[in-house]
Amino acid sequence: MKYLFWMPLLLAMVSCTNDDGEYIAVGENELLTVTLPSNFPPMAYNVSENPPTKYGFELGKKLFYDGKLSANGFISCGFCHEQRFSFTHHGHQFSHGIDDLQGTRNTPSIANMAFFQEFAWDGATNHLDLFPIIPITNEVEMGETMTSVLQKLQADEAYQKEFNAAFEEGGVNHTNFLKALAQFMVMMVSYNSKYDKYVRNEDGVSLTDQELQGLSIFQEKCANCHTTDLFSDGSFRNNGLPPNPNINDLGRAEVSGSPSDNYKFKVPSLRNVALTAPYMHDGRFGSLESVLNFYQNGVQDSPTLDPLLKNGNALGISLNDDEKLVLIAFLGTLTDDEFITDKRFAEY
Amino acid sequence: MLTLSVFIISCSSDDDATELTGNGMVKIEFDNSMAGDDLLLGSSYTNSQNETLTISRLNYIVSNFRLTDEDGTVFTYPKDQGYFITSEETGTTEVVLMDVPAGRYTSLTFGIGVDQEKYLQGAEGQGDLLTEAESTNMMWSWQAGYKFLNFEGTFTSSTVADATDFKIHMGSHGSSLDNYKETTLSLGTEALVSEDMTPIIHLVANASNILDGENKISLTEQAVIMVSEEKSPKIAVNASNMFTVDHVHNGDGGSH
Repeated sequence: MKYLFWMPLLLAMVSCTNDDGEYIAVGENELLTVTLPSNFPPMAYNVSENPPTKYGFELGKKLFYDGKLSANGFISCGFCHEQRFSFTHHGHQFSHGIDDLQGTRNTPSIANMAFFQEFAWDGATNHLDLFPIIPITNEVEMGETMTSVLQKLQADEAYQKEFNAAFEEGGVNHTNFLKALAQFMVMMVSYNSKYDKYVRNEDGVSLTDQELQGLSIFQEKCANCHTTDLFSDGSFRNNGLPPNPNINDLGRAEVSGSPSDNYKFKVPSLRNVALTAPYMHDGRFGSLESVLNFYQNGVQDSPTLDPLLKNGNALGISLNDDEKLVLIAFLGTLTDDEFITDKRFAEY
Repeated sequence: MLTLSVFIISCSSDDDATELTGNGMVKIEFDNSMAGDDLLLGSSYTNSQNETLTISRLNYIVSNFRLTDEDGTVFTYPKDQGYFITSEETGTTEVVLMDVPAGRYTSLTFGIGVDQEKYLQGAEGQGDLLTEAESTNMMWSWQAGYKFLNFEGTFTSSTVADATDFKIHMGSHGSSLDNYKETTLSLGTEALVSEDMTPIIHLVANASNILDGENKISLTEQAVIMVSEEKSPKIAVNASNMFTVDHVHNGDGGSH
């Protein structure tokens, strides 16, 4: 019944692609318009299974910023995913969790997650709804159990009301908890960078000559992996980083169990990349210059090195100083100030 | 009561002797064993690879039950109610299927684990299974998925003199490897279901098969197996082949 009623509205939403923030009334709750930018590939997340609503989104936001989701009550999702850095943990090589414990991977951005099929650096889940289980239960991140989080929320009268307002089949339970968090994340679409406005011919925005040269180099030398306007093909690749001997993170192979996946990590999106230092799955590089220097000089051969980074005896990507300069200028056009200041996603 | 059960069993081959009507229940008992011996946690068992196992945990997920009757008609149990975690530790070893149409069922099919279709239903599809999985050590939290099988204990072998922990956690590997398997068992005896008749299908799960089945898995070689592209699928096959029908009790489901 619910879907029959909502489906025409969803179809209508698809037609008003860039029109975010408009509310469509559905009873007392309101269906939110999900942003589908015209320059993006189709959304991977099935919105009809969990259509974002005003109260569902607000509940998801409250949960995202609530330390109750962690064992000590202080580490919220937003602790590591800070909006002004495109929801990454700026300046921290590794995620910092409860009791000052440290993880082994750098916090990835959660912009545009609804457009991806696999989540976490190693693809530990292929459904966005189920992703929050990973950080919540990780001993060095939030160190909780799902059951205990639910017990805390069930004991909270405000949450009881908010869960009931957000979902037709109310109740503080795992299904609604995960749906609310997913609704918050699905709405986090970053699509209004200078680059976006340029490719969509909006507001008369143009790129400088330097930025255009960078775009051209990017398309030639980077866009095989950083594809589409999501700037990632979502695949897992070994980009030739010498493994950190103290960690020896096998990446995708930790999930698949396949030695052919050793040292492969998900190709990250480059949206807002100027804001999301440090870089790589382990946050080893402090600047984009260092990243480009690595691709020029630092790529290490191994049985699983991505073939695109190996041409005969030459490893990596050939880049001269001018090319690096213009590439960094181009990458700067991917910064979306509207996204990082959007009050809908802000903690305060 | 016993005489009544015997009487019914003796008549079960007489077709049309009883008109079966309405809906009823089917109880399925998962009786864990080790190669013909009762499985007792804390006891030790030696397998054909000369490894002696002392088991502390045997939990597995069974799912997607289907019953086929004498005419080949298949009753599929509703998917959203179709996932059960059996646990030797907690003594949760019986699955009860409700609202099964009356009939004479001759075979049983079920899955070991959680299929991708269920997982990809996201938050909506998991319901209480997540909670239950977490409380029974069946949630694979760093993969955000389910352990289909959790088999743990200690072992010794000719080269491992001191009791050493073993842990066998088997499940699907994200999107890269699907270890969900199904098994179909002929019941031998018809299981009679009606509004007054609740059969108990008594299965034996030979847990020895997990490591010592058609695929030989040596704990001496590797005692902790959680994500292995080579070994996990072999364990999944072994586990899916560990079930046999010991007998079927027809009757009111109260006696066993």
